[in-house]
Amino acid sequence: MTPLSYGIMAEFRRAEDLVEAVRTARRAGYTKLDAFSPFPLTDLAHELGVRTTIIPWIAFLAALVGAGLQYGSQYWMNVVDYPLNVGGRPLNSWPAFIPSTLIVAILWAGAATLIGLLVILRLPRLHHPVFAVHDFRRASEDRFFLCILAEDPIFMMQEARAFLETLSPLAVREVPACD
Amino acid sequence: MSSEAIAITTPVAEVPLSRRFGRVWWFALVVSGALVLLLGYTLVSVTILGVGIWGVNIPFVWGFDLINYAWWIGIANGASLFAAILVLRRHDLRTAVNRFAEGVAFFAVICAGIFPIFHLGRPWLFYWTFPYPATYEVWPQFRSTLTWDFWAISTHAIVTSLLWYVGLIPDLATLRDRARRKSVQRIYGVFALGWRGSVRHWAYHQRAYRLVAILVLPLILIMQSTVAFEFAVTLVPDWHETRQPLHFVATGLAQGLSIVLLVAVLLRSGLRLGRYIDEEDIDLLGKLVLTSAIVSGYLFLDEVIAALLAERMAQEAMLNRMTGDYAGLYWTAIVYSVLIPQLLWFKAARNSTIAGVFVGLSIGVGIWFDRFSIIVGGLQTDHLPSISRTYQPTLAETGLFLGTIGLFAALLLLFVRFLPVVSMFETRHDEHLEKSS
Amino acid sequence: MRKGAHFDLEAMKARLANEDGPRLWRSLEELADLPEVRRYVEAEFPDIVQAATIDRRTLLRLMSASLALGGLAACDGGSAGKNAPLLSQSHTMPGHVPGVPLTVATSLPLNGFGRGVLVKVQEGRPIKIEGNPLHPASLGATDVFAQAEILSLYDPDRSDAPLQNGVERTWQELTGFIRPVRNELVVAEGKGLHILMPPTSSPTLLRLVAQARQLFPLARWHSFSPIDDDNRRAAGMTVFGHDVDLVYDLAQADTIVTLGGDLFAEEPGHLRYAADYQARRRMQDLALPRAFAVESRPSLFGARADDRIPLRPRDFAAFAQALAGALETGSVAPSDHPSLSRIADALRKAGPRALVVAGREQSAAVHALAYAINMRLGAFGSTIRAIEPVRPSEGDVGTLADLADAIAAGQVSHLVVLGGNPVYTAPADIDLAALIHRVPLSLHLGQHRDETASACHWHIPESHPLESWGDLRAFDGAVGLRQPVTLPLKPGLSAEEFLGLLAGQALDGRGLVQATWREAWGEGFEARWARSLEDGVMENSAALSLDVAMRDDWRPEPAAPVASGGIDVIFAPDPSVWDGTFANNGWLQELPKPLTKQAWGNAALIAPETAAIFGLSTGDTVDLSVEGRVLRVPVWIMPGHAPGTVTLTLGYGRQRAGRIGNDIGFDAYAIRPSQHSWIAVGKIRAAGERVALVSTQQHHSMQGRDIVRVVAPGQSPPPEKEHPSLYPDWPYEGHAWGMAIDLDACIGCNACVIACQAENNIAIVGPEEVAKGREMHWLRVDRYYGGDPASPDTYFQPVPCMHCEKAPCEVVCPVNATVHSSEGINDMVYNRCVGTRTCSNNCPYKVRRFNFLDYQGTDFTASSDLMNPQVTVRDRGVMEKCTYCIQRIGTARADARIEDRPLRDGEVVTACQQACPTKAIAFGDVNDRDSAVSRLKQDPRNYALLGALNTRPRTTYLARIEQPREDG
Repeated sequence: MTPLSYGIMAEFRRAEDLVEAVRTARRAGYTKLDAFSPFPLTDLAHELGVRTTIIPWIAFLAALVGAGLQYGSQYWMNVVDYPLNVGGRPLNSWPAFIPSTLIVAILWAGAATLIGLLVILRLPRLHHPVFAVHDFRRASEDRFFLCILAEDPIFMMQEARAFLETLSPLAVREVPACD
Repeated sequence: MSSEAIAITTPVAEVPLSRRFGRVWWFALVVSGALVLLLGYTLVSVTILGVGIWGVNIPFVWGFDLINYAWWIGIANGASLFAAILVLRRHDLRTAVNRFAEGVAFFAVICAGIFPIFHLGRPWLFYWTFPYPATYEVWPQFRSTLTWDFWAISTHAIVTSLLWYVGLIPDLATLRDRARRKSVQRIYGVFALGWRGSVRHWAYHQRAYRLVAILVLPLILIMQSTVAFEFAVTLVPDWHETRQPLHFVATGLAQGLSIVLLVAVLLRSGLRLGRYIDEEDIDLLGKLVLTSAIVSGYLFLDEVIAALLAERMAQEAMLNRMTGDYAGLYWTAIVYSVLIPQLLWFKAARNSTIAGVFVGLSIGVGIWFDRFSIIVGGLQTDHLPSISRTYQPTLAETGLFLGTIGLFAALLLLFVRFLPVVSMFETRHDEHLEKSS
Repeated sequence: MRKGAHFDLEAMKARLANEDGPRLWRSLEELADLPEVRRYVEAEFPDIVQAATIDRRTLLRLMSASLALGGLAACDGGSAGKNAPLLSQSHTMPGHVPGVPLTVATSLPLNGFGRGVLVKVQEGRPIKIEGNPLHPASLGATDVFAQAEILSLYDPDRSDAPLQNGVERTWQELTGFIRPVRNELVVAEGKGLHILMPPTSSPTLLRLVAQARQLFPLARWHSFSPIDDDNRRAAGMTVFGHDVDLVYDLAQADTIVTLGGDLFAEEPGHLRYAADYQARRRMQDLALPRAFAVESRPSLFGARADDRIPLRPRDFAAFAQALAGALETGSVAPSDHPSLSRIADALRKAGPRALVVAGREQSAAVHALAYAINMRLGAFGSTIRAIEPVRPSEGDVGTLADLADAIAAGQVSHLVVLGGNPVYTAPADIDLAALIHRVPLSLHLGQHRDETASACHWHIPESHPLESWGDLRAFDGAVGLRQPVTLPLKPGLSAEEFLGLLAGQALDGRGLVQATWREAWGEGFEARWARSLEDGVMENSAALSLDVAMRDDWRPEPAAPVASGGIDVIFAPDPSVWDGTFANNGWLQELPKPLTKQAWGNAALIAPETAAIFGLSTGDTVDLSVEGRVLRVPVWIMPGHAPGTVTLTLGYGRQRAGRIGNDIGFDAYAIRPSQHSWIAVGKIRAAGERVALVSTQQHHSMQGRDIVRVVAPGQSPPPEKEHPSLYPDWPYEGHAWGMAIDLDACIGCNACVIACQAENNIAIVGPEEVAKGREMHWLRVDRYYGGDPASPDTYFQPVPCMHCEKAPCEVVCPVNATVHSSEGINDMVYNRCVGTRTCSNNCPYKVRRFNFLDYQGTDFTASSDLMNPQVTVRDRGVMEKCTYCIQRIGTARADARIEDRPLRDGEVVTACQQACPTKAIAFGDVNDRDSAVSRLKQDPRNYALLGALNTRPRTTYLARIEQPREDG
């Protein structure tokens, strides 16, 4: 069943109202919710069941790969592929190979984390249904929005609208699905 | 109370969106633009004629090229280090200064990056330091500090720029949403990548941002040490010291802080952002700069003590730096980077714009002379007296230096013009937390 | 070479033989078209021909190399085809193999004396000069002048066409002009004809002079050289009543006392003397010789002497007299010089094995006393012998002054200047240019369009000694043949050929020389001729010693009253440009002078004491006036220089030397009086200006560091303590190249520096760059002073790349541009270098040199024809340094492989090693325990420079030996 609309959205003035709204919505059994705010509301995200533990893992693994790759390539180039007598030093001069290994580990960790972030967030995505909602632009300034998604199993447009009205929002608007 | 939320970051956002920007800005941009042209000219001429147009010789194979490199990279690392520490400590100051601190760091890296490439005898071959399967089938030499530095600079440039951009995304979204003209909206829209402030996104965004900011910390320490290693690993008596990295890191931090202070006071008065970069912020910055200056002072002292404990050659080298042909550099460094900043003991000085600019500049100048003293004055005393000579910078070198300053200024001006100089979402966040608590 | 090829060769030579000069190149061109020529050349140079289809120019070059039509010039057809360096192979050299450079034995003149050399000719291009081991004046070594002669050969400023009043003329025009003139002169029996030429030792020239004299009985002959031995020979006349030259044998001398001069740099036998002195020092069973240098200006001999006594020139006569007296009476007057008794004792002790030598600048009286002392000690026959003058003056030969008078008296209708540059080198009081203008017809034969050329009506290009035939006698009279080593690069006549023409001989340089020796030898000419050509020196042609006796009427002339007041002015040949002859030679101009390390210029040397009196520092100018003439000169404070004395070196301030030599330094001839041409009295006045003098060494003290080690005889320095290393030793199977430099042998003569420059295509950078500290010499000779600046000890230390086993330079290079070879050589990979220059930073010896600019494209750049094809020419932005002459190692290895045998010790000889007169440098395989270098490295005197840095240098030094002063 393809939803005609993406969902329905209520606008609030204060962050506290949004937090409250989310709590009631979840009590009402809604599971597919999304909240929008002009600044991070970490605990709210937690209530919405967001777990970001993957981020450090990405960083850690990337760092390992980067370090391994860098030291490995240094070893291979100097010992295996093209051994050269440089200043009478051992071919595998590990102390001298460590600095760039560390640096490159950080390079990988950093790059992977930030690029990974965009992947996780599925950004860039320049067109999104919520942008169509009147006044949503203030979500990046000073307004807070709660959106019940149409894909929510118990989603029925009228009920949802009625439910949101009860939260005394500034406004409730339907979010049309962009084909 | 919450209605205040409406106005809070508007002035910041209005800066980049405003249609005209005043004569001062244009004048500054033209001046720095001219210097950028000078930079281009000096770079082209050195590429065509060779580094012989500089004052370099044997043994002074490095002159302004490495002096300025070490100086710029010091600024970059100092600023990044500072920003990273603030994020790490979740310090309020970060909302005020991180955005442009990271900006300063990024621009300084760009300026620094010019030198390692163009100081080469054959600059067009700089990429040979990168391990690619060349026709010679020879690989780079990974024991070389220069190779380490190659990785360090590229890492620094990539990571800091990424971090900076990711931090900008939500504010770009704000600008997108506030833009009145379609074209402007489009441009900011594209760079905002369609950020919509979803609470989920915020959570990931914050986690990643903080994590990378923390990663920058060790990176900077390693990198600044690598720069120091370029001198410390050699057999030149004055350079061959294990304290070198500490010296470079600490004085580098002083540099970074002083430039951040400089930019802070300028932005504050220039863009009337007193509300976001407030009295306390500047005061705290001033105290930090003062502390870093004192630390530098200690390191200058430590340098002497270390020399006293070192073998005779090192002592002679140190003595020569303090009393020889280049003694002027050494003492200037101390006066500008240690003594003058003591002004900041006075609250009045910490809060006055002029004093801020003055001290900020003086530390920058001081550390520049310190690098000069180390790289040139330090090299003068070598194991064989027969090879001791002198080095005189030429006009071409000076032009190069001024050029990079112009480039730095130009980048800073464009940043001020088109991007929010203070992190708006962080400001909102702080505001919110204050109220809710 | 192959038989078939031979046939073709002969055919072509025959063909060329009956060609006359001007057509010759054309006929070569024609020849080039003949199929058999191509066949021949292809047979001779298969590799080159295979490399590419060969064009006419290369073909011609190859032909010239193989046909070797040396001495062939537009004006010089007679010798076509007959004279071929190909025929002259020294014993020591293998036969000519295509592609393998040819070695030609010949002789080079310096001040009329010959030094035997071997010239390396690569496909017809001479590229390197080495000493001739068979030649007594060389023993295989060379001086800087011989090394640099190859650059002079390619000097683009050499004259290449006759000039009439500055207008270029063809050779035909010249001949057309000269023929009638000559006929008139013949008719007039040479009346009014005056011929001025520098003194020469060449038997052929002297023979031709004699012939010309017969043809022109009324002609007057004059001889002039700015570096004259007049005083010495005058003394010979007064003491022995006979004109003699003196030859010393330093190998026999236990005690050597020099009164001025410089045995190791300015005597005609200087190379030999240095070699003998060191040979004597090396004799284990004998005590070290004791050398005293009584001198006003520091000399190379003085630097190596056990005892240097600085003395004002005006005091020499008295000193010599006192010395003679002391030896007569055995008593020393208290008024005498403090060190006199010490010297007298040493001399007395040595007896016949003593030697006293007076420098050429000393007065006849001093020379006479020196002779007398040697006589008294019985040194004649043991350490010193008299021989007939090597440069005799046949018949009555006038001086330059006589010529000047004759011109002034209007007796000169025709003046011929045969070589030399008298207009420039004439004493100040003889304005030769003006005088020559008064001569109706003057003609100059010279290599350059120099000051003299521009003063004369006619100028004729003189061929370079390496382009023409001749013969020269060495300091001891030994005869060496001079033969062309290349086709003339510029058309020209040799002095022999010119005199030959004058004397009505055919224009055939080779014929002229052969005629001389045919006469002398009679029987078996061909064999002896070929042999002499191969050896470069004639067997037992050295002059026999005369036994001389003192005229019993000789008495030392009463000591003239010593002049009081004024400052003594000494004129001296310059260590870099001699009398100015080499002013246009970039290598020599850029060569740091042995003692001052000054390059690109000269300065007035004064003692620190004198400088203090006048409040002068190096670079300050003074007005120096001698007999009314004033010259403004920059001073150089010279430790060890005699006080109250100033030394001016000749040869600078040239106006018409060429693009390199013009307007460098000051012209000391401008105040040189003809009466006191060596030592004059003048006045000095500070002028207040400053002149930037170029020098390659700013600091002169070792600052108490262990740089040049000194040990007493027999005693050995504390053994090197083992420095532990974190790094495992790197194994070197096979060869491991190393070098040992004996600081006891080094006399600082710089021959190695130029030899290295010539061998390795090292660029000349010019005065501005040297002033910036960018000279490119791979090998430098550091000079340190120790002790009292009034009379310091002088130490020389040649510093090439040390080829450290734990090379610090390699570790810091980001692109592997400098790495170790399997034989332990610190290789520099030019085409991999990106020019970070960090290797130089980490080199504690700072022996690396960087191409800061494109030094191959400057006004100073040498002709690419003399480049050593085995050595890469370096690009801009690239680091370079000593390679241990890796190309020579490669050649030796190839030879060994061809003959399927291991490399022998001593087979690889580096350029510096080969040039060294005292064999101070040893090179070889340090893995081979018995190799010469290994043996030296086992010597207790062996030490590593900056050994404490533990870079494990492959180049090590042997401490210098100094014996304590015996105060008696």
